[in-house]
Amino acid sequence: MGYLEGIAISASINIVCICGLVILTGYIGLFSMGHASFMCIGAYAAAILTKYYSFPFIIALLIGGAIAALSSLIIGVPTLRGKMSADCFAIATLGFGEAVRIIMSNISHPYFGGARGMSGIPAYMNLGWALALAFVSIVLTLNYARSQHGKLALAIRDHQDASELIGINIFREKIKCLMYSAFFCGIGGGMMAHYYTYMVPNVFNATISNNLLTSVVLGGVSSVTGPAMGTAILTFLPEVLRFLSNWRLAIYGLVMVLIMRMRPEGLLAHKEIHQPIVQLVRFIRSRTVRSTDSGRG
Amino acid sequence: MDMFLQQLVTGISIGSVYALLAVGYALVFSVFNFSNFGFGPVMMLGTFSAFYAIPLLHLPLLPSILLAMVVAGLISFLMELTVYRPMRKKKTLKLYLMIAGLGINTFIPNAAIQIFGGGVHPFPSDWARATIQLNTIAVPRSDILAAVLSLVMLAALWLFLYKTRTGLGIRASSLDTDTAGLMGINVNFVAMIVFLLSGAAAGLAGCFYGMKYSVFPNMGAIASKGFVASTIGGLGSLAGAVISGLLLGFLETMIAAYGSSTYRDLIAYALLVIVLIFMPRGILGKGMQDKL
Repeated sequence: MGYLEGIAISASINIVCICGLVILTGYIGLFSMGHASFMCIGAYAAAILTKYYSFPFIIALLIGGAIAALSSLIIGVPTLRGKMSADCFAIATLGFGEAVRIIMSNISHPYFGGARGMSGIPAYMNLGWALALAFVSIVLTLNYARSQHGKLALAIRDHQDASELIGINIFREKIKCLMYSAFFCGIGGGMMAHYYTYMVPNVFNATISNNLLTSVVLGGVSSVTGPAMGTAILTFLPEVLRFLSNWRLAIYGLVMVLIMRMRPEGLLAHKEIHQPIVQLVRFIRSRTVRSTDSGRG
Repeated sequence: MDMFLQQLVTGISIGSVYALLAVGYALVFSVFNFSNFGFGPVMMLGTFSAFYAIPLLHLPLLPSILLAMVVAGLISFLMELTVYRPMRKKKTLKLYLMIAGLGINTFIPNAAIQIFGGGVHPFPSDWARATIQLNTIAVPRSDILAAVLSLVMLAALWLFLYKTRTGLGIRASSLDTDTAGLMGINVNFVAMIVFLLSGAAAGLAGCFYGMKYSVFPNMGAIASKGFVASTIGGLGSLAGAVISGLLLGFLETMIAAYGSSTYRDLIAYALLVIVLIFMPRGILGKGMQDKL
Protein backbone atom coordinates (compact mmCIF):
# COMPACT_ATOMS: atom_id res chain seq x y z
CA MET A 1 0.00 0.00 0.00
CA GLY A 2 2.84 2.33 0.86
CA TYR A 3 4.32 1.61 -2.56
CA LEU A 4 1.14 2.53 -4.42
CA GLU A 5 0.74 5.57 -2.20
CA GLY A 6 4.26 6.68 -3.12
CA ILE A 7 3.51 6.38 -6.82
CA ALA A 8 0.24 8.27 -6.39
CA ILE A 9 2.02 11.08 -4.55
CA SER A 10 4.73 11.29 -7.25
CA ALA A 11 2.04 11.38 -9.91
CA SER A 12 0.21 14.16 -8.06
CA ILE A 13 3.41 16.21 -7.74
CA ASN A 14 4.00 15.79 -11.46
CA ILE A 15 0.40 16.77 -12.20
CA VAL A 16 0.79 20.02 -10.27
CA CYS A 17 3.95 20.86 -12.26
CA ILE A 18 2.28 19.86 -15.52
CA CYS A 19 -0.67 22.16 -14.84
CA GLY A 20 1.67 25.11 -15.21
CA LEU A 21 3.49 23.75 -18.22
CA VAL A 22 0.24 23.02 -20.04
CA ILE A 23 -0.50 26.72 -20.21
CA LEU A 24 3.02 27.54 -21.40
CA THR A 25 3.41 24.82 -24.02
CA GLY A 26 -0.09 23.75 -24.92
CA TYR A 27 -1.70 27.17 -24.96
CA ILE A 28 0.75 29.93 -25.76
CA GLY A 29 3.12 27.68 -27.68
CA LEU A 30 6.41 28.36 -25.93
CA PHE A 31 8.43 25.47 -24.73
CA SER A 32 10.87 25.33 -21.89
CA MET A 33 13.90 23.14 -21.38
CA GLY A 34 14.49 24.22 -17.81
CA HIS A 35 11.34 24.25 -15.74
CA ALA A 36 13.05 22.02 -13.19
CA SER A 37 14.80 25.22 -12.07
CA PHE A 38 11.48 26.69 -10.94
CA MET A 39 10.77 23.48 -9.05
CA CYS A 40 14.18 23.88 -7.45
CA ILE A 41 13.53 27.50 -6.42
CA GLY A 42 10.08 26.69 -5.07
CA ALA A 43 11.38 23.65 -3.22
CA TYR A 44 14.20 25.54 -1.51
CA ALA A 45 12.00 28.50 -0.61
CA ALA A 46 9.23 26.34 0.86
CA ALA A 47 11.63 24.03 2.68
CA ILE A 48 13.55 26.89 4.28
CA LEU A 49 10.30 28.52 5.39
CA THR A 50 8.93 25.38 7.01
CA LYS A 51 12.20 24.09 8.44
CA TYR A 52 13.73 27.26 9.88
CA TYR A 53 10.79 29.60 10.27
CA SER A 54 8.10 26.95 10.98
CA PHE A 55 5.65 28.43 8.51
CA PRO A 56 2.42 26.49 7.91
CA PHE A 57 2.84 24.04 5.02
CA ILE A 58 0.37 25.53 2.57
CA ILE A 59 1.57 29.11 3.06
CA ALA A 60 5.19 28.02 2.54
CA LEU A 61 4.16 26.28 -0.67
CA LEU A 62 2.37 29.37 -1.96
CA ILE A 63 5.32 31.63 -1.12
CA GLY A 64 7.66 29.16 -2.84
CA GLY A 65 5.47 29.27 -5.93
CA ALA A 66 5.37 33.05 -5.85
CA ILE A 67 9.17 33.30 -5.60
CA ALA A 68 9.50 30.87 -8.52
CA ALA A 69 7.05 32.98 -10.53
CA LEU A 70 8.99 36.17 -9.78
CA SER A 71 12.29 34.53 -10.72
CA SER A 72 10.82 33.51 -14.07
CA LEU A 73 10.88 37.21 -14.96
CA ILE A 74 14.68 36.99 -15.15
CA ILE A 75 14.44 34.97 -18.34
CA GLY A 76 11.00 36.08 -19.42
CA VAL A 77 11.67 39.80 -19.74
CA PRO A 78 14.76 39.63 -21.99
CA THR A 79 13.62 36.75 -24.20
CA LEU A 80 9.91 37.37 -24.73
CA ARG A 81 10.07 41.01 -25.80
CA GLY A 82 9.25 42.15 -29.31
CA LYS A 83 9.33 39.61 -32.09
CA MET A 84 11.96 37.39 -30.49
CA SER A 85 11.92 33.88 -31.75
CA ALA A 86 10.76 31.10 -29.44
CA ASP A 87 14.20 29.52 -29.90
CA CYS A 88 15.78 32.25 -27.78
CA PHE A 89 13.34 31.54 -24.99
CA ALA A 90 13.99 27.77 -25.15
CA ILE A 91 17.76 28.12 -24.96
CA ALA A 92 17.50 30.75 -22.22
CA THR A 93 15.41 28.41 -20.09
CA LEU A 94 18.02 25.70 -20.61
CA GLY A 95 20.68 28.11 -19.42
CA PHE A 96 18.56 29.26 -16.49
CA GLY A 97 18.10 25.64 -15.42
CA GLU A 98 21.85 25.08 -15.43
CA ALA A 99 22.46 28.39 -13.67
CA VAL A 100 20.05 27.68 -10.83
CA ARG A 101 21.52 24.21 -10.33
CA ILE A 102 25.10 25.45 -10.24
CA ILE A 103 24.31 28.45 -8.01
CA MET A 104 22.34 26.30 -5.56
CA SER A 105 25.25 23.83 -5.44
CA ASN A 106 27.69 26.59 -4.58
CA ILE A 107 25.77 28.60 -1.99
CA SER A 108 27.69 28.17 1.24
CA HIS A 109 24.92 29.53 3.48
CA PRO A 110 24.02 26.86 6.09
CA TYR A 111 20.31 27.02 5.20
CA PHE A 112 20.99 25.82 1.66
CA GLY A 113 23.72 23.27 2.30
CA GLY A 114 25.45 23.68 -1.05
CA ALA A 115 25.93 20.56 -3.15
CA ARG A 116 25.04 18.30 -0.21
CA GLY A 117 21.57 19.79 -0.26
CA MET A 118 19.01 20.11 2.51
CA SER A 119 17.85 17.38 4.81
CA GLY A 120 15.46 17.18 7.72
CA ILE A 121 12.67 18.98 5.92
CA PRO A 122 9.41 18.36 7.81
CA ALA A 123 7.42 15.54 6.17
CA TYR A 124 4.14 17.39 5.75
CA MET A 125 3.28 15.71 2.46
CA ASN A 126 0.79 12.86 2.48
CA LEU A 127 -1.63 11.31 0.05
CA GLY A 128 -4.51 13.57 1.09
CA TRP A 129 -2.54 16.77 0.55
CA ALA A 130 -1.11 15.48 -2.72
CA LEU A 131 -4.46 14.54 -4.23
CA ALA A 132 -6.11 17.71 -2.99
CA LEU A 133 -3.39 19.95 -4.42
CA ALA A 134 -3.41 18.08 -7.73
CA PHE A 135 -7.19 18.42 -7.94
CA VAL A 136 -7.14 22.11 -7.09
CA SER A 137 -4.39 22.74 -9.66
CA ILE A 138 -6.33 20.97 -12.38
CA VAL A 139 -9.51 22.92 -11.60
CA LEU A 140 -7.65 26.24 -11.49
CA THR A 141 -5.86 25.52 -14.75
CA LEU A 142 -9.06 24.41 -16.46
CA ASN A 143 -10.66 27.68 -15.42
CA TYR A 144 -7.61 29.64 -16.56
CA ALA A 145 -7.66 27.88 -19.92
CA ARG A 146 -11.37 28.51 -20.42
CA SER A 147 -11.11 32.15 -19.35
CA GLN A 148 -10.16 35.07 -21.55
CA HIS A 149 -6.50 34.53 -20.64
CA GLY A 150 -6.49 31.05 -22.14
CA LYS A 151 -8.26 32.24 -25.28
CA LEU A 152 -5.75 35.06 -25.77
CA ALA A 153 -2.94 32.56 -25.35
CA LEU A 154 -4.45 30.29 -28.03
CA ALA A 155 -4.83 33.24 -30.38
CA ILE A 156 -1.16 34.15 -29.94
CA ARG A 157 -0.04 30.57 -30.53
CA ASP A 158 -2.03 30.21 -33.72
CA HIS A 159 -1.25 33.59 -35.23
CA GLN A 160 0.97 36.02 -33.41
CA ASP A 161 0.79 38.83 -35.96
CA ALA A 162 -2.97 38.66 -36.33
CA SER A 163 -3.52 38.64 -32.59
CA GLU A 164 -1.26 41.65 -32.21
CA LEU A 165 -3.32 43.44 -34.87
CA ILE A 166 -6.53 42.99 -32.89
CA GLY A 167 -4.86 44.62 -29.93
CA ILE A 168 -3.47 41.85 -27.76
CA ASN A 169 -0.41 42.78 -25.75
CA ILE A 170 1.70 39.77 -26.71
CA PHE A 171 4.50 40.43 -24.26
CA ARG A 172 2.11 40.69 -21.31
CA GLU A 173 0.25 37.54 -22.23
CA LYS A 174 3.47 35.57 -22.64
CA ILE A 175 4.86 36.79 -19.33
CA LYS A 176 1.55 35.92 -17.67
CA CYS A 177 1.69 32.37 -18.99
CA LEU A 178 5.33 31.99 -18.01
CA MET A 179 4.67 33.20 -14.46
CA TYR A 180 1.65 30.95 -14.17
CA SER A 181 3.71 27.93 -15.21
CA ALA A 182 6.62 28.86 -12.93
CA PHE A 183 4.20 29.28 -10.01
CA PHE A 184 2.83 25.76 -10.35
CA CYS A 185 6.28 24.27 -10.87
CA GLY A 186 7.40 26.04 -7.71
CA ILE A 187 4.50 24.53 -5.78
CA GLY A 188 5.28 21.10 -7.24
CA GLY A 189 8.89 21.49 -6.12
CA GLY A 190 7.77 22.43 -2.63
CA MET A 191 5.54 19.36 -2.49
CA MET A 192 8.48 17.22 -3.61
CA ALA A 193 10.76 18.64 -0.90
CA HIS A 194 8.20 17.94 1.83
CA TYR A 195 7.58 14.44 0.55
CA TYR A 196 11.18 13.19 0.28
CA THR A 197 12.29 15.37 3.27
CA TYR A 198 15.73 15.88 1.68
CA MET A 199 16.95 17.23 -1.61
CA VAL A 200 20.12 18.05 -3.50
CA PRO A 201 20.30 20.64 -6.30
CA ASN A 202 21.32 17.98 -8.82
CA VAL A 203 17.88 16.35 -8.58
CA PHE A 204 16.45 19.28 -10.52
CA ASN A 205 18.31 18.59 -13.75
CA ALA A 206 17.42 18.72 -17.42
CA THR A 207 15.98 15.19 -17.28
CA ILE A 208 13.11 16.37 -15.08
CA SER A 209 12.40 19.28 -17.43
CA ASN A 210 12.41 16.88 -20.34
CA ASN A 211 10.06 14.45 -18.61
CA LEU A 212 7.62 17.27 -17.90
CA LEU A 213 7.72 18.33 -21.54
CA THR A 214 7.21 14.72 -22.69
CA SER A 215 4.07 14.43 -20.56
CA VAL A 216 2.62 17.61 -22.02
CA VAL A 217 3.40 16.50 -25.55
CA LEU A 218 1.99 13.04 -24.94
CA GLY A 219 -1.17 14.35 -23.33
CA GLY A 220 -1.94 16.85 -26.04
CA VAL A 221 -1.96 20.58 -26.63
CA SER A 222 -4.90 22.79 -25.69
CA SER A 223 -5.98 20.27 -23.10
CA VAL A 224 -5.45 20.27 -19.35
CA THR A 225 -6.64 16.85 -18.30
CA GLY A 226 -4.86 15.20 -21.24
CA PRO A 227 -1.36 16.09 -20.04
CA ALA A 228 -2.41 15.36 -16.46
CA MET A 229 -3.35 11.89 -17.63
CA GLY A 230 -0.12 11.74 -19.67
CA THR A 231 2.03 12.41 -16.64
CA ALA A 232 0.09 9.89 -14.58
CA ILE A 233 0.78 7.30 -17.30
CA LEU A 234 4.46 8.25 -17.45
CA THR A 235 4.73 7.90 -13.66
CA PHE A 236 3.00 4.52 -13.50
CA LEU A 237 4.42 2.87 -16.63
CA PRO A 238 8.10 2.77 -15.54
CA GLU A 239 7.00 0.90 -12.43
CA VAL A 240 5.29 -1.74 -14.54
CA LEU A 241 8.02 -1.88 -17.19
CA ARG A 242 10.91 -2.31 -14.78
CA PHE A 243 12.85 -4.53 -17.21
CA LEU A 244 13.10 -1.59 -19.61
CA SER A 245 14.28 0.85 -16.96
CA ASN A 246 17.69 1.46 -18.61
CA TRP A 247 16.00 2.43 -21.83
CA ARG A 248 13.40 4.64 -20.17
CA LEU A 249 14.87 7.99 -21.22
CA ALA A 250 15.58 6.77 -24.74
CA ILE A 251 11.95 5.66 -25.01
CA TYR A 252 10.74 9.04 -23.73
CA GLY A 253 12.70 10.72 -26.49
CA LEU A 254 11.38 8.32 -29.11
CA VAL A 255 7.81 8.87 -27.89
CA MET A 256 8.32 12.61 -28.23
CA VAL A 257 9.60 12.29 -31.81
CA LEU A 258 6.91 9.80 -32.86
CA ILE A 259 4.07 11.87 -31.43
CA MET A 260 5.35 15.02 -33.12
CA ARG A 261 5.70 13.09 -36.36
CA MET A 262 2.36 11.21 -36.33
CA ARG A 263 0.00 13.26 -34.20
CA PRO A 264 1.66 16.52 -33.17
CA GLU A 265 -1.40 17.69 -31.29
CA GLY A 266 -1.00 14.78 -28.82
CA LEU A 267 -3.44 12.16 -27.53
CA LEU A 268 -6.21 14.41 -26.25
CA ALA A 269 -5.79 17.59 -28.25
CA HIS A 270 -8.48 20.25 -27.71
CA LYS A 271 -10.41 17.76 -25.56
CA GLU A 272 -10.78 17.18 -21.86
CA ILE A 273 -11.33 13.84 -20.15
CA HIS A 274 -14.49 14.95 -18.41
CA GLN A 275 -16.05 16.29 -21.60
CA PRO A 276 -18.01 13.11 -22.46
CA ILE A 277 -19.53 13.11 -18.97
CA VAL A 278 -20.48 16.78 -19.20
CA GLN A 279 -21.98 16.17 -22.63
CA LEU A 280 -23.91 13.17 -21.31
CA VAL A 281 -25.30 15.20 -18.44
CA ARG A 282 -26.27 18.01 -20.82
CA PHE A 283 -27.85 15.51 -23.20
CA ILE A 284 -29.91 13.90 -20.43
CA ARG A 285 -30.92 17.28 -19.09
CA SER A 286 -31.99 18.49 -22.53
CA ARG A 287 -34.02 15.29 -23.03
CA THR A 288 -35.77 15.67 -19.68
CA VAL A 289 -36.42 19.34 -20.32
CA ARG A 290 -37.86 18.53 -23.73
CA SER A 291 -40.05 15.76 -22.33
CA THR A 292 -41.44 18.07 -19.64
CA ASP A 293 -42.01 20.69 -22.34
CA SER A 294 -43.84 18.24 -24.54
CA GLY A 295 -45.73 17.01 -21.50
CA ARG A 296 -46.95 20.53 -20.94
CA GLY A 297 -47.76 21.06 -24.57
CA MET B 1 51.93 37.08 -20.32
CA ASP B 2 52.81 33.47 -21.05
CA MET B 3 49.77 32.33 -19.20
CA PHE B 4 47.66 34.75 -21.18
CA LEU B 5 49.01 33.46 -24.51
CA GLN B 6 48.50 29.88 -23.38
CA GLN B 7 44.90 30.64 -22.45
CA LEU B 8 44.44 32.47 -25.74
CA VAL B 9 45.43 29.32 -27.67
CA THR B 10 42.99 27.24 -25.64
CA GLY B 11 40.31 29.88 -26.11
CA ILE B 12 40.74 29.92 -29.86
CA SER B 13 40.61 26.14 -30.16
CA ILE B 14 37.47 25.74 -28.04
CA GLY B 15 36.07 28.83 -29.71
CA SER B 16 36.51 27.23 -33.12
CA VAL B 17 34.50 24.24 -31.89
CA TYR B 18 31.70 26.60 -30.82
CA ALA B 19 31.99 28.53 -34.08
CA LEU B 20 31.57 25.35 -36.17
CA LEU B 21 28.57 24.27 -34.12
CA ALA B 22 27.05 27.75 -34.31
CA VAL B 23 27.50 27.75 -38.09
CA GLY B 24 25.68 24.41 -38.23
CA TYR B 25 22.73 25.89 -36.35
CA ALA B 26 22.81 29.09 -38.38
CA LEU B 27 22.74 27.23 -41.72
CA VAL B 28 19.56 25.35 -40.83
CA PHE B 29 17.95 28.35 -39.17
CA SER B 30 18.65 30.69 -42.07
CA VAL B 31 16.80 28.47 -44.54
CA PHE B 32 14.06 26.88 -42.47
CA ASN B 33 13.61 29.35 -39.61
CA PHE B 34 13.76 26.73 -36.90
CA SER B 35 16.58 25.53 -34.70
CA ASN B 36 17.62 21.95 -35.09
CA PHE B 37 17.71 20.90 -31.45
CA GLY B 38 18.74 17.41 -32.56
CA PHE B 39 22.17 18.76 -33.46
CA GLY B 40 24.12 17.50 -30.44
CA PRO B 41 23.54 13.81 -31.25
CA VAL B 42 24.75 14.40 -34.82
CA MET B 43 28.04 15.65 -33.46
CA MET B 44 28.25 12.78 -30.97
CA LEU B 45 27.60 10.06 -33.56
CA GLY B 46 30.13 11.59 -35.97
CA THR B 47 32.79 11.61 -33.29
CA PHE B 48 32.01 8.04 -32.31
CA SER B 49 32.42 6.91 -35.92
CA ALA B 50 35.95 8.37 -35.93
CA PHE B 51 36.53 6.96 -32.46
CA TYR B 52 35.75 3.44 -33.66
CA ALA B 53 37.31 3.81 -37.14
CA ILE B 54 40.81 4.64 -35.87
CA PRO B 55 41.44 1.43 -33.90
CA LEU B 56 39.21 -0.89 -35.96
CA LEU B 57 40.00 0.21 -39.54
CA HIS B 58 43.49 1.57 -38.70
CA LEU B 59 42.61 4.84 -40.42
CA PRO B 60 45.03 7.75 -40.04
CA LEU B 61 43.76 10.87 -38.29
CA LEU B 62 42.73 13.03 -41.24
CA PRO B 63 40.71 10.36 -43.11
CA SER B 64 38.97 9.45 -39.87
CA ILE B 65 38.02 13.09 -39.30
CA LEU B 66 36.69 13.11 -42.85
CA LEU B 67 34.75 9.95 -42.08
CA ALA B 68 33.27 11.63 -38.98
CA MET B 69 32.16 14.56 -41.13
CA VAL B 70 30.56 12.28 -43.72
CA VAL B 71 28.79 10.15 -41.11
CA ALA B 72 27.56 13.22 -39.21
CA GLY B 73 26.35 14.80 -42.45
CA LEU B 74 24.46 11.66 -43.43
CA ILE B 75 22.87 11.35 -40.00
CA SER B 76 21.82 14.96 -40.10
CA PHE B 77 20.31 14.42 -43.55
CA LEU B 78 18.59 11.23 -42.36
CA MET B 79 17.02 13.26 -39.54
CA GLU B 80 15.71 15.79 -42.06
CA LEU B 81 14.42 13.01 -44.32
CA THR B 82 12.60 10.98 -41.65
CA VAL B 83 11.45 13.63 -39.18
CA TYR B 84 11.67 17.22 -40.33
CA ARG B 85 10.70 16.95 -44.02
CA PRO B 86 7.39 15.10 -43.48
CA MET B 87 6.54 17.54 -40.71
CA ARG B 88 7.39 20.54 -42.89
CA LYS B 89 5.19 19.14 -45.63
CA LYS B 90 2.27 19.05 -43.20
CA LYS B 91 3.02 22.71 -42.38
CA THR B 92 3.04 22.01 -38.65
CA LEU B 93 3.84 24.71 -36.11
CA LYS B 94 7.51 25.52 -35.61
CA LEU B 95 7.05 24.55 -31.99
CA TYR B 96 6.45 20.93 -33.00
CA LEU B 97 9.63 20.82 -35.10
CA MET B 98 11.64 22.02 -32.12
CA ILE B 99 10.00 19.54 -29.75
CA ALA B 100 10.75 16.75 -32.23
CA GLY B 101 14.37 17.92 -32.26
CA LEU B 102 14.42 17.88 -28.50
CA GLY B 103 13.03 14.34 -28.60
CA ILE B 104 15.89 13.30 -30.88
CA ASN B 105 18.25 15.00 -28.45
CA THR B 106 16.85 12.82 -25.64
CA PHE B 107 16.53 9.62 -27.63
CA ILE B 108 19.91 9.24 -29.35
CA PRO B 109 22.28 10.00 -26.44
CA ASN B 110 20.35 7.75 -24.06
CA ALA B 111 20.23 4.96 -26.63
CA ALA B 112 23.96 5.52 -27.22
CA ILE B 113 24.67 5.13 -23.51
CA GLN B 114 23.00 1.70 -23.65
CA ILE B 115 24.82 0.69 -26.86
CA PHE B 116 28.31 2.22 -26.50
CA GLY B 117 28.33 2.27 -22.69
CA GLY B 118 28.41 5.44 -20.64
CA GLY B 119 32.19 5.55 -20.31
CA VAL B 120 34.38 8.55 -21.04
CA HIS B 121 37.19 7.76 -23.49
CA PRO B 122 40.20 9.67 -24.79
CA PHE B 123 40.29 10.30 -28.52
CA PRO B 124 42.53 7.51 -29.89
CA SER B 125 45.17 9.60 -31.62
CA ASP B 126 48.66 9.97 -30.16
CA TRP B 127 49.66 12.41 -32.88
CA ALA B 128 47.08 14.95 -31.76
CA ARG B 129 47.98 14.70 -28.10
CA ALA B 130 51.62 15.73 -28.59
CA THR B 131 52.48 19.37 -27.95
CA ILE B 132 54.67 21.79 -29.87
CA GLN B 133 56.88 24.14 -27.91
CA LEU B 134 56.52 27.68 -29.27
CA ASN B 135 58.88 29.96 -27.40
CA THR B 136 57.54 29.70 -23.87
CA ILE B 137 54.09 28.26 -24.50
CA ALA B 138 53.17 24.68 -25.26
CA VAL B 139 50.56 24.26 -27.95
CA PRO B 140 48.87 20.88 -28.41
CA ARG B 141 48.83 19.79 -32.03
CA SER B 142 45.08 19.23 -31.77
CA ASP B 143 44.57 22.95 -31.08
CA ILE B 144 46.49 23.94 -34.20
CA LEU B 145 44.63 21.34 -36.22
CA ALA B 146 41.31 22.62 -34.86
CA ALA B 147 42.08 26.22 -35.73
CA VAL B 148 43.41 25.40 -39.21
CA LEU B 149 40.74 22.91 -40.22
CA SER B 150 37.88 25.09 -38.95
CA LEU B 151 39.27 27.98 -40.94
CA VAL B 152 39.49 25.79 -44.04
CA MET B 153 35.97 24.51 -43.48
CA LEU B 154 34.55 28.01 -42.99
CA ALA B 155 36.39 29.35 -46.04
CA ALA B 156 35.15 26.43 -48.14
CA LEU B 157 31.65 27.06 -46.88
CA TRP B 158 31.87 30.74 -47.77
CA LEU B 159 33.18 29.94 -51.27
CA PHE B 160 30.42 27.39 -51.73
CA LEU B 161 27.67 29.77 -50.62
CA TYR B 162 28.88 32.81 -52.55
CA LYS B 163 30.59 31.43 -55.67
CA THR B 164 28.46 28.50 -56.83
CA ARG B 165 24.98 28.19 -58.29
CA THR B 166 23.86 25.84 -55.53
CA GLY B 167 25.09 28.35 -52.98
CA LEU B 168 23.08 31.03 -54.69
CA GLY B 169 20.03 28.76 -54.41
CA ILE B 170 20.64 28.33 -50.71
CA ARG B 171 21.00 32.05 -50.17
CA ALA B 172 17.82 32.65 -52.14
CA SER B 173 15.96 30.10 -50.02
CA SER B 174 17.24 31.74 -46.86
CA LEU B 175 15.49 34.96 -47.89
CA ASP B 176 12.18 33.29 -48.54
CA THR B 177 11.93 29.55 -48.79
CA ASP B 178 8.47 29.45 -50.36
CA THR B 179 9.18 32.06 -53.03
CA ALA B 180 12.50 30.39 -53.86
CA GLY B 181 10.53 27.19 -54.41
CA LEU B 182 8.21 29.03 -56.82
CA MET B 183 11.24 30.41 -58.71
CA GLY B 184 12.37 26.92 -59.61
CA ILE B 185 14.79 26.24 -56.81
CA ASN B 186 14.49 22.69 -55.61
CA VAL B 187 13.90 23.32 -51.92
CA ASN B 188 14.30 19.67 -51.02
CA PHE B 189 17.72 19.65 -52.67
CA VAL B 190 18.65 22.81 -50.77
CA ALA B 191 17.48 21.12 -47.57
CA MET B 192 19.69 18.13 -48.33
CA ILE B 193 22.76 20.31 -48.90
CA VAL B 194 22.08 22.44 -45.84
CA PHE B 195 21.61 19.49 -43.51
CA LEU B 196 24.65 17.67 -44.97
CA LEU B 197 26.82 20.76 -44.50
CA SER B 198 25.63 21.49 -40.99
CA GLY B 199 26.13 17.84 -40.06
CA ALA B 200 29.64 17.90 -41.48
CA ALA B 201 30.46 20.99 -39.41
CA ALA B 202 29.13 19.18 -36.34
CA GLY B 203 31.26 16.09 -37.10
CA LEU B 204 34.38 18.23 -37.40
CA ALA B 205 33.58 20.13 -34.21
CA GLY B 206 32.92 16.84 -32.40
CA CYS B 207 36.34 15.43 -33.38
CA PHE B 208 38.10 18.53 -32.04
CA TYR B 209 36.08 18.45 -28.87
CA GLY B 210 36.92 14.76 -28.46
CA MET B 211 40.64 15.46 -28.97
CA LYS B 212 40.61 18.35 -26.54
CA TYR B 213 38.49 16.71 -23.86
CA SER B 214 37.08 13.22 -24.35
CA VAL B 215 34.55 11.12 -26.24
CA PHE B 216 31.36 10.16 -24.40
CA PRO B 217 27.70 9.66 -25.33
CA ASN B 218 26.50 12.89 -23.70
CA MET B 219 29.06 15.08 -25.44
CA GLY B 220 26.28 16.46 -27.62
CA ALA B 221 25.28 18.67 -24.69
CA ILE B 222 28.10 21.01 -25.74
CA ALA B 223 26.08 21.79 -28.85
CA SER B 224 23.79 23.93 -26.72
CA LYS B 225 26.74 26.32 -26.29
CA GLY B 226 27.01 26.40 -30.08
CA PHE B 227 23.35 27.33 -30.15
CA VAL B 228 23.94 30.08 -27.62
CA ALA B 229 26.75 31.35 -29.85
CA SER B 230 24.52 31.36 -32.90
CA THR B 231 21.83 33.24 -30.95
CA ILE B 232 24.33 35.80 -29.70
CA GLY B 233 25.64 36.27 -33.23
CA GLY B 234 22.14 36.77 -34.56
CA LEU B 235 20.03 33.73 -35.49
CA GLY B 236 20.80 32.62 -39.01
CA SER B 237 23.85 34.83 -39.53
CA LEU B 238 26.97 32.85 -40.48
CA ALA B 239 29.51 35.61 -39.81
CA GLY B 240 27.85 36.39 -36.49
CA ALA B 241 27.99 32.70 -35.57
CA VAL B 242 31.74 32.52 -36.20
CA ILE B 243 32.52 35.74 -34.32
CA SER B 244 30.40 34.95 -31.30
CA GLY B 245 31.64 31.34 -31.20
CA LEU B 246 35.23 32.53 -30.96
CA LEU B 247 34.23 35.24 -28.48
CA LEU B 248 32.45 32.71 -26.30
CA GLY B 249 35.42 30.31 -26.29
CA PHE B 250 37.78 33.16 -25.45
CA LEU B 251 35.63 34.51 -22.60
CA GLU B 252 35.09 31.06 -21.14
CA THR B 253 38.77 30.16 -20.95
CA MET B 254 39.73 33.57 -19.64
CA ILE B 255 37.15 33.47 -16.89
CA ALA B 256 38.06 29.90 -15.99
CA ALA B 257 41.75 30.89 -15.85
CA TYR B 258 41.54 34.20 -13.99
CA GLY B 259 38.19 33.95 -12.25
CA SER B 260 36.21 31.00 -11.03
CA SER B 261 36.04 27.75 -13.00
CA THR B 262 32.84 26.81 -11.15
CA TYR B 263 30.86 29.37 -13.05
CA ARG B 264 32.57 28.73 -16.40
CA ASP B 265 29.51 27.02 -17.85
CA LEU B 266 27.31 29.95 -16.89
CA ILE B 267 29.28 32.49 -18.93
CA ALA B 268 27.57 31.45 -22.13
CA TYR B 269 24.08 31.88 -20.70
CA ALA B 270 24.89 35.09 -18.87
CA LEU B 271 26.32 36.51 -22.10
CA LEU B 272 23.18 35.35 -23.92
CA VAL B 273 20.86 37.17 -21.52
CA ILE B 274 22.98 40.34 -21.61
CA VAL B 275 23.15 40.37 -25.41
CA LEU B 276 19.42 39.71 -25.70
CA ILE B 277 18.63 42.59 -23.34
CA PHE B 278 20.69 45.15 -25.25
CA MET B 279 20.71 43.70 -28.78
CA PRO B 280 17.60 41.56 -29.20
CA ARG B 281 18.62 40.61 -32.73
CA GLY B 282 22.09 39.51 -31.78
CA ILE B 283 25.42 41.01 -32.74
CA LEU B 284 25.07 40.70 -36.51
CA GLY B 285 21.40 39.90 -36.93
CA LYS B 286 20.21 42.81 -39.06
CA GLY B 287 16.81 41.46 -39.87
CA MET B 288 15.53 39.43 -42.73
CA GLN B 289 17.59 41.03 -45.52
CA ASP B 290 21.10 39.68 -45.20
CA LYS B 291 21.16 36.49 -43.30
CA LEU B 292 23.87 34.48 -44.99
